[in-house]
Amino acid sequence: MVYKKILVTSMGEFLDQITDETMELIADWETDVLGVYVVETSTPFLTPKKVEEMMITELTSRGKQVLDEMEKKFQAPNIHFTKILKEGDPADEIVNIAEEEGVDLLVMGTGKSIVDKHLLGSVSEKVVHSSPCTILLIRTVKE
Amino acid sequence: MLWILTLIVILIISLIIVIKSADIFVDRIVEVGGALGISEIILGVTASAIGTSLPEFGSAMMAAIFNSPDLGVGVVIGSNIWNIAGILGISAVFAGTIRSSLKGLTRDGTFTLLTALILMGFMYFTGGVNAWSSLVFIVMYGIYLWILIRDQKKEANDKKTDETPSRGTTEISYRPKEKKKITPSIVAWCLVGLAGLIIGCRLLIYSGEELATIAGIPLMIMGLFTLAIGTSIPELVVTFNSARKGLHDLSIGTVLGSNTFNIMIGLGIPALIMEIPTEQISLIFDAPVMIFVIILLLLLIKRGMKLTRIDGLILLITYITYSVIRIAILG
Repeated sequence: MVYKKILVTSMGEFLDQITDETMELIADWETDVLGVYVVETSTPFLTPKKVEEMMITELTSRGKQVLDEMEKKFQAPNIHFTKILKEGDPADEIVNIAEEEGVDLLVMGTGKSIVDKHLLGSVSEKVVHSSPCTILLIRTVKE
Repeated sequence: MLWILTLIVILIISLIIVIKSADIFVDRIVEVGGALGISEIILGVTASAIGTSLPEFGSAMMAAIFNSPDLGVGVVIGSNIWNIAGILGISAVFAGTIRSSLKGLTRDGTFTLLTALILMGFMYFTGGVNAWSSLVFIVMYGIYLWILIRDQKKEANDKKTDETPSRGTTEISYRPKEKKKITPSIVAWCLVGLAGLIIGCRLLIYSGEELATIAGIPLMIMGLFTLAIGTSIPELVVTFNSARKGLHDLSIGTVLGSNTFNIMIGLGIPALIMEIPTEQISLIFDAPVMIFVIILLLLLIKRGMKLTRIDGLILLITYITYSVIRIAILG
């Protein structure tokens, strides 16, 4: 199966693992790769507005760094790379972009411990339930 | 019974009023500062430093004005212990890991520890916080803010130098920055925020005092636990949320910055109005515990420049042990 348009998303962790596996999959095929970083904007009630703005600024700055890193990793003559930085709920935005862009493969990391999944939630689990296309979940491992 | 319930409702509502009013006030003050040409970095650093701590400051101030300085000291020391052992403990347990940079830890950790030691020194040698000690605190806070602003400027310059032109197609949602003027609406909201802060803090102190009297709880205990935890809600939401989102420096920085502000300004400014006396139990137990949790935090982080879930549990157990000893044994 050849995938022509692939959405790759990461919050910065395990970027090497995710991009390496995607590159192996692409091999020499002509492929459009969309690098996606979603700045999570939700904050709890009573969060000071200025701190909320500061968080979004920091996360946006990190998102740009992650996308720049991705761009370097996907430098190949057969790959056309596009950076997408969005604000909102990560799972919803990833699914929306995949739908709007007509993506045929979505690549993301997974591998949180059961404790982390219960305490922090899992973006990949949410995406799995509403993805419009095939998903490649890369088992990420903490060193 | 009905009166106790009413007081609890007043306490909760006043807490919400205080926290929201502090937010509105800081937000509009920043707009006024921006319109007056004060740099964004200075405004950002100051706003984030005081934003989460205004409720503690307001409560300590109102407690001093209305002759309940015990409550004020309780709020400040109680908040500082809760911020580290409670809030960072909970955040580390949930987030799994909170990393720290050596620079941030050295700067904020040193100031937090130094401030706590100086407070204990004043408590021991002068019997409390008087106008002279408050001057020392205010000058020290000025120096701390100056260092923060200097570091932030350096960081902003480094970021600018690091930025390289992008080669790929970029789709980024920029937030337009508009230069604002001081409008009557900004001034009005500023006053609304200030009024809310004053009224909310007064209600908070009143309900706290009444509840303590009815239940036979010492004012200091009321300040150390109920009001301290209540006024630290902004620190809790910011620290917890930033740890969850991986904004580690913000997470630990909020707690350490807030602890420094609580003592230097939260006690420093009210002490200009009236001398804040110290109870013996605070000198021999609460203040040493505050210093102990700071040292414990610094040692836990120092091992691997991060707080782990286990470290979080250690901090939480420390807080629970302190609470049990303070409430059940020492009263």
